[in-house]
Amino acid sequence: MGADYAYDEEGYLWPFFVFTLTFIVTLPLTYLLVSRSRDPAAALKRVQSDYRHEHADLVDTLRKQEKRKDRKLWLLAFVMAGWAVMGYMLYLINTTEAPTQKIWNPYDILSIPESASIKVIKSTYKKLSLRFHPDKIRPDASRNETLEDLNARYVEISKAYQALTDEEVRNNYIQYGNPDGKQGYSINIALPKAMVSDGNGKYIVLIYSALFGVLLPYLVGSWWYGTLRRSKEGSLMESANRLFRAYQDDIDEGGVITALSEGKEYEDLFKGNKADSQLSRIESKILAEGELSPFAGGLSVKHKEKLQNLESGPQRKALALLWAYLGRVELDDPALNKAKLEVAPISHALNKSFTAISLAYMNTAPLLASYYTSQLLIQALPPKSSPLLQLPYFTPKIVKAVEGDSRIRTSVQSFMDRPDSKRRSLVVGKNLLTEQQYKEAVKVAKQLPYLRVAKAYFKVTGERCIIPSSLVTLVVKGRFVPPGSEKLPEVNEPDLEDIDPAEDDLDAILGRKTKKQIGKDENGKPIMSADSEPILPPLASAPYFARDHSPRWHVFLTDSKQGRVAVPPFTFAQFDRPVFQEDGRTPTFAMQTLKAQFQAPPQAGHYTFVMHVVCDSYVGFDTKMEVTLIVDEASKAAEMADDDQISEPDEGWSTTFLP
Amino acid sequence: MVDIDWWGLIVPFAYLVVLSGTFMTFSTIYRKRKATQSANLAPWFGPHLQRNIYLSLLHMEPEANGSEKAAAAKTPKVPESVIRAALLRRAVEDIHRIIQIRTAKAACSSLLQRGSVGDDLWQRFQRAEKEMEEELRDVVMEANALAPNWGQIIFQSANEIAANTVLKQRLDEIQAQTEREKEWWEKRRSTIKTESLKKLEDESEKTQGKVGSEDEPVLVDTNTPSATPVSGGGSKKKKGRK
Repeated sequence: MGADYAYDEEGYLWPFFVFTLTFIVTLPLTYLLVSRSRDPAAALKRVQSDYRHEHADLVDTLRKQEKRKDRKLWLLAFVMAGWAVMGYMLYLINTTEAPTQKIWNPYDILSIPESASIKVIKSTYKKLSLRFHPDKIRPDASRNETLEDLNARYVEISKAYQALTDEEVRNNYIQYGNPDGKQGYSINIALPKAMVSDGNGKYIVLIYSALFGVLLPYLVGSWWYGTLRRSKEGSLMESANRLFRAYQDDIDEGGVITALSEGKEYEDLFKGNKADSQLSRIESKILAEGELSPFAGGLSVKHKEKLQNLESGPQRKALALLWAYLGRVELDDPALNKAKLEVAPISHALNKSFTAISLAYMNTAPLLASYYTSQLLIQALPPKSSPLLQLPYFTPKIVKAVEGDSRIRTSVQSFMDRPDSKRRSLVVGKNLLTEQQYKEAVKVAKQLPYLRVAKAYFKVTGERCIIPSSLVTLVVKGRFVPPGSEKLPEVNEPDLEDIDPAEDDLDAILGRKTKKQIGKDENGKPIMSADSEPILPPLASAPYFARDHSPRWHVFLTDSKQGRVAVPPFTFAQFDRPVFQEDGRTPTFAMQTLKAQFQAPPQAGHYTFVMHVVCDSYVGFDTKMEVTLIVDEASKAAEMADDDQISEPDEGWSTTFLP
Repeated sequence: MVDIDWWGLIVPFAYLVVLSGTFMTFSTIYRKRKATQSANLAPWFGPHLQRNIYLSLLHMEPEANGSEKAAAAKTPKVPESVIRAALLRRAVEDIHRIIQIRTAKAACSSLLQRGSVGDDLWQRFQRAEKEMEEELRDVVMEANALAPNWGQIIFQSANEIAANTVLKQRLDEIQAQTEREKEWWEKRRSTIKTESLKKLEDESEKTQGKVGSEDEPVLVDTNTPSATPVSGGGSKKKKGRK
């Protein structure tokens, strides 16, 4: 009696197997599908505005297209197929009856009740043996009986009788459920018999080799080459290489835009004769005389020459369209207008690559140019143009009415700081804005998140002074003050302080509470841990940009004398306290904390840095201020610690050396 | 005798052959493609114009000498000073290129490590670096051939020339703006002048009108202080528009 293996002949086991397998694969994919189809941007607040420019519909369709691109159709098909298979398998499991091994019951065989006495058993057995003894009856051909059947039936009957009368057989029956003693058990493999039966072998081999010889190498290869093809920033590697070559130490925003047009992505966008079609038309439009700048596209003479020196092809077309986009030039052709809106998001993606490259060089000017280009691309403004154009209904003509012939650009903040009557008298009038439009513009302006820095200082967690090579935290305290905000509350002094986490709060010290991370650093404030949900500012108000963009703030320190970046940027996309109240437009003026950690210089002394806080979505919302880092000698720090020991004897200085 | 199922035996052998064959073709194709790719990499720098000029000047001599005396008379021998000047120009261009390579090296390698730029860019870069080393050596040798021990100082002077040209360029750029700035200031001055004249007139009118009506000056007074603290440039403009 041994274990014998059987394949699943009746087909009642393999549905279980297939069901489990499909379940394991389908469930994560379903999760992926659901999480992906849930639009993350939909949950975010937006700047409330009813403003629709004439191509707003086109921008909307482009945004929708982009979202649809994210939705992978094959994934949907795969998940649906998976669930269909699982459903079918469930159906199979329910309908096919498993061949249950009948429990051997001697009473059933003798067809007597279980309460029958020995006497009854004996008499029944006698009756039955008389009737069914193989010598007594002959096989009934009509019921398809053979001699063996009759024999078997008789053996069964006598076995049943013995089980009920004979002591040994009865024991066997009680122990193993069978009068013959222990039975062999069988193991079934949950594969359909068809898989191993003769003749099907070659198909199985074919499927096997297709899986491991074709599909697996294909998947691995496509993954590997996919990672090689794209740079870390998500642009094509070839584009990143070209951007690296285009980098110059004295590059300005126009130069960055020219460099971005080199992207290989445009070659895919403008294939074949698309590259040259109507190029001259676009160029004549952007080089027409502009209202605020010499050319309508907003480009300078230098960059105009660069454009005209290019060979006609995808790059030139992309660059021309980019200038048309930035200058908000009407191209009088639906296809061209669409292409104009399409090139900007591509450039914005490429610009990330350029930012990384300029960061590797550690020079301030190119890095700033790259960030400013991001602002320009999102807001559709040419370089050195008026930030006022970010407001709805503002056209160059209205900007001219505000600025006069001054060369200093009026920022949104300074415009909104003027009294309402003054602003109104400037921009509302014949050929200018209507009362309605003016109200809309002011409404939008009052929702733009301008981060006004209240204080910026350095500290070392748990120490009183900064010693050489210690880990310094730059703490930037600021409030979101939209331009033109009225009734701005006074800064609450305690808000400006940064309290170290309690010494026993190891999680906070080690920054282990990843949930309350803001940007790149940990929130040391133990008070904050209660409302650790990070808060996102509203999506950037960018009516021309064909993507939803969540604004970010970059904080970095530069050395103004050398023009080099001293502390690379820390990026903040989330904040620890709400920016706007529930209605989404009333600012809370809550004090936000931005923290960046870096290593102090190895020598003691006074270091003056320029701190830049750059918003990547709005023009003219940046802060630039001087901060001084005072690094004391290590001996002085020790002295101060000694002082502590004398004045506060119960708080030993050794506690400062906690991990 | 054991009955061998030859057909059955073929299958595993065919499997092995196919497997190894695939690997081999894959590796050869892959390597060939890699080789052609690296052979076809675009050079880092464009054509070296200064070097070309220098070499063509240098090689004008043998050609003229080699053919006939008449030809030698027609194309006079290139003066030594011109060749030296050409070599110096070449060194200046080399300095520009070297500076570019030195500044790019750290950035390029860190970007490569992070995966922000591709491998072929690094290959191109390294090739350019090697090329530049050869170029420098060549320039030093040429300089020594032209004048003894010149090779040691040629790059010092080239460096100074390069720095000077950069400075000059920047100065020129700034100088080029003067015309426009002048024009703008002329215009601005005239508008300011007319504005202030107008203002004076207004004020004199006001002082005269004060006797007549009481409300007007009050209105003006409330308006001005609220407007002035905003920003100097802005308020000036606004007044100009009135």
